[in-house]
Amino acid sequence: MMTESHPKHILSIMVDNEPGVLARIVGLFSGRGYNIESLSVSEVDSDRFLSRVTVVTSGTKNIIDQIKAQVRKLIPVHNLIDITELKSFIGKELILMKLDIKQKTVLEIHKHIKNIGAKILFEDKTVIIVEFSGTPIEISSLIKKMKVYNIVELTRSGLVSMALGKDYIRR
Amino acid sequence: MMKKLSGARIVIEALIQENVKVIFGYPGGAVLPIYDELFKQNKIRHILVRHEQAAVHAAEGYARSTGKVGVVLVTSGPGATNTVTGLTDAMMDSVPVVCISGQVPTHMIGNDAFQEADIVGITRPCTKHNYLVKEISKLAESIHSAFHIAKNGRPGPVLVDIPKDIQTFETKYGGKKHTKSFAFYKPNIKPSLDTIVKFVNLLEESKKPIFYVGGGVINSGSRASLYLKKLLEITGFPCTQTLMGLGATPTSDDQFIGMLGMHGTYEANLSMNKSDLMICIGARFDDRITGKVSGFSPKSKKVHLDIDASSFNKSVNVDLLIQGDLSKILEMTLKYIENKRISFSKEKISAWWIQINKWRAKNCLNYENSKSIIKPQYALQRLDFLTKHLDPFITTEVGQHQMWAAQFLTFNKPKHWMTSGGLGTMGYGLPAAMGVQIAHPKDLVIDVAGEASILMNIQEMSTIKQYRLPVKIFILNNHYMGMVRQWQELLHGNRLSESYMDSLPDFVKLAESFGATGLRVSKPGEMDDLIKEMIKIKGSVICDVVVDPKENCFPMIPSGSSHDQMLLGPNDKLEGEISEEGMVLV
Repeated sequence: MMTESHPKHILSIMVDNEPGVLARIVGLFSGRGYNIESLSVSEVDSDRFLSRVTVVTSGTKNIIDQIKAQVRKLIPVHNLIDITELKSFIGKELILMKLDIKQKTVLEIHKHIKNIGAKILFEDKTVIIVEFSGTPIEISSLIKKMKVYNIVELTRSGLVSMALGKDYIRR
Repeated sequence: MMKKLSGARIVIEALIQENVKVIFGYPGGAVLPIYDELFKQNKIRHILVRHEQAAVHAAEGYARSTGKVGVVLVTSGPGATNTVTGLTDAMMDSVPVVCISGQVPTHMIGNDAFQEADIVGITRPCTKHNYLVKEISKLAESIHSAFHIAKNGRPGPVLVDIPKDIQTFETKYGGKKHTKSFAFYKPNIKPSLDTIVKFVNLLEESKKPIFYVGGGVINSGSRASLYLKKLLEITGFPCTQTLMGLGATPTSDDQFIGMLGMHGTYEANLSMNKSDLMICIGARFDDRITGKVSGFSPKSKKVHLDIDASSFNKSVNVDLLIQGDLSKILEMTLKYIENKRISFSKEKISAWWIQINKWRAKNCLNYENSKSIIKPQYALQRLDFLTKHLDPFITTEVGQHQMWAAQFLTFNKPKHWMTSGGLGTMGYGLPAAMGVQIAHPKDLVIDVAGEASILMNIQEMSTIKQYRLPVKIFILNNHYMGMVRQWQELLHGNRLSESYMDSLPDFVKLAESFGATGLRVSKPGEMDDLIKEMIKIKGSVICDVVVDPKENCFPMIPSGSSHDQMLLGPNDKLEGEISEEGMVLV
């Protein structure tokens, strides 16, 4: 039903940080056959127990409208905004990458890391752990470039995103 | 100073504060403290059902016939899982129900304890919202919130799962007023005057309008029905109603042109198909209504009034949508029409009415009556004729009998027709009728049933006996799961796989064994006497109406077809094969 040709939508959802709230959102997507391309969630307001969920999804306009209406119906959902519909926005992911270092390549890796503005979090004789944040495209291209070295493991977060300008999410 | 109360006591006190008079339930290990508190008071009446599914359907019947919230109390594990069908039914048909379930104590949760089920997980998709109360301090808040959520906005079921230790812990309870704010759920949006103006303009312009009215009008309350009736009078427009909407305005009105949809009337479906303005009020363009979406009312402008934003543009795109409580929207519309002194010319739509009356003249509900065998349609026509003056409450099971009841009975008041529309739950009608009868002890309550459906919750005859409920059960007995057989005839080469009902009980003896009266009729000439006797009998009656086993329900829009491709009777043949697309539809 959903193909690549449909534009991606970044939905930012403010919810009560209570048990099961993520299950409600994820269950709604799976139960109704919607697509989740990326998901990230964490508490953002510890005084009011609010979490912010960012879901990247895709679909026809009707499906996206339906997703928004269905999510807004969930009782713990305070607000939902479609960030992709706002004028401009920033979207970033975080990646941690563990690289196998051999004497030959370590200098080259260091140089590479410096060039792209990534950070070294850990280093010993065998491995190096690199942190980098960027747009999904930048991250994917980083992974591609680093493939020439020996990537031991990697993990990347879901997208977090914010519109420019005023506060859209709090009502 | 506020006294400390146990969790179980707080449950009861909170229910009293919510003005609950009746709950339907079944006790068990994990709710014993609540049942103990129930025993100690006399403000709330408990109806002991024989299966938890029936408790929910009874609560639905109670809710739908009163407009109040229906309340259910069950134990953990199997008690809770047995409610799932009922909760899903209430979810699909927007019925306000609060279901309280017991749960194993908090420290045992997740341990696969005896009679443990993750009911909050299981019911997440089939409730409007649910709570697992893990702290005694959250108990009162959860219960009051449950009622608030169940009845506001588009109504629905809410489950509150209460572990047994929470029921025994103590805390202070100051009543609903002193319970922490729970009411940020405020779904009742006020419609803007702009959209009302646009709406009235569309009404004025239309030459071929139709009101398409759903259960939302009934849910919105009696004021919505009154306003709609007024709007119908002012405009003179034709009106069709969905299965859920029957009785929203009187179906004996001349402007009412029958139910629409898969088994709707010829005139209703063709009016939808050929209209230039469709005004959908509190309905949701369900697949039973639209048939093939691409052929659904291709030339009309569509207006949709509803409280639920997720119903807009879901399967059919509309030109104007107005979100809000229907009684508010209709009131604003009437006020605007009055203030602007707008009058609707009956001339403008006279050609349209001539066309509709031509369709009407087809008399699509006509059937070939018989002198030797009872036709199910005839049985219902007689039932309607002989009970209409009593404004009976009608419930149904699911299948052919349900569609015939919708086609042949008169509904002159809202909240008098309880049927499982969205989920199509066989076994709904009998327990629902119990709930209705509890709410309206003096009124005539009839469950129009089929012999297959009635067996799905037949154990409730025991409940009916215990509370001396004078529920009348009108079984159209054709020895088949009739609707299944009809589809097998139409779509599966008449191979009647497992749809014959063998080894049926003797319904007369069955009635007698539960202290009710059993009556049987198999000759058309005896139909009236049976119905008159049924009404006369004070207690519960099972009528075993032996009907033509081969009769099918028409008109019918075969799956995957559109409104102008109806089968009007058994002699109407399908135009070609049902498409593959249609074959996979339910």
